[in-house]
Amino acid sequence: MKKIILSTIVLVLIIATSGYYYVFIYSKNKKFDMEHADSMNIEATALVSAFQENEANANKLYLDKVLFINGVVGATAKTQSGETSVTLTSSDPFSGVMATLDSTVTTQVKVGDTIAIKGFCKGFLSDVVITNALIQ
Amino acid sequence: MKKTALTLLSTLLLCALTSTTNAQKVYATKTGQVFFNATGGIEKIAAVNNQTDSKFVDQTGQIIFAVLVKGFKFENQLMEDHFNENYLESSKFPKADFKGYITNIKEVNFSKDGTYPITVDGDLTIHGVAKKVSTKGTLKIEKGLPHIEGEFVVKIKDYGITGLYIGDKIAADASITINCKY
Repeated sequence: MKKIILSTIVLVLIIATSGYYYVFIYSKNKKFDMEHADSMNIEATALVSAFQENEANANKLYLDKVLFINGVVGATAKTQSGETSVTLTSSDPFSGVMATLDSTVTTQVKVGDTIAIKGFCKGFLSDVVITNALIQ
Repeated sequence: MKKTALTLLSTLLLCALTSTTNAQKVYATKTGQVFFNATGGIEKIAAVNNQTDSKFVDQTGQIIFAVLVKGFKFENQLMEDHFNENYLESSKFPKADFKGYITNIKEVNFSKDGTYPITVDGDLTIHGVAKKVSTKGTLKIEKGLPHIEGEFVVKIKDYGITGLYIGDKIAADASITINCKY
């Protein structure tokens, strides 16, 4: 009987410790491996057009997906939080692809450069918003 | 001939003066910040969105804030996943926005640096549900550029958001703080 109680306590402790580790340590420190993640290739112009023509459909196709986007840099800026953002142009001068770069990115880009970025598509406001982006 | 020229000149001057008086300016940012905090217990349940799109008109006070729900970043990835999948259902409702007016915009002197208290009224849409909200905040003019700060406190269940832990680990009332430099 004692053996059963002891085994149960040990089992409960193991489950509780594993749960705590997964929720509070592993999940907190886990970083998505953008570099090696599978992605969908698309041109910035085509991506913006897709959202402008049918946002609901574009959300189904691209929302929260890793995209590999080719385009021309129209602007670079610092966000309020100090991150670097790069906007790729489209055929619409009022809308583009705004990517917030991952903090590890050190590559410098300038307006007019043709580049490729890889990041998460978060949806469409004035621009298509991309986060955690790497420059490829 | 002189009279015609004088009349024409007067008309042109009047037009120029009228258009200057009525010229309105639209201020905009695409990298404003919205903070979300629904900490109900020991564990911090807070996130920030650094891609907030906001515009306002200086003459009318018309203002809009819009965020992509999936753009909220939590310290804990698992928490972010639960926020999107189980609570905000962000694949179904990808955007949240506020559309309204700064009701006392006339009290703001855009040509003089300073901090001006503002009142904002409008509709806040979260999870596909729109509710009338009103709050107070500040509009700072810093080197001629506006900076708006304010806070909305919302009852999570008013927006049709259900799920375990609301009112327990997740506060029943969430704070949404706006910080936008235009």
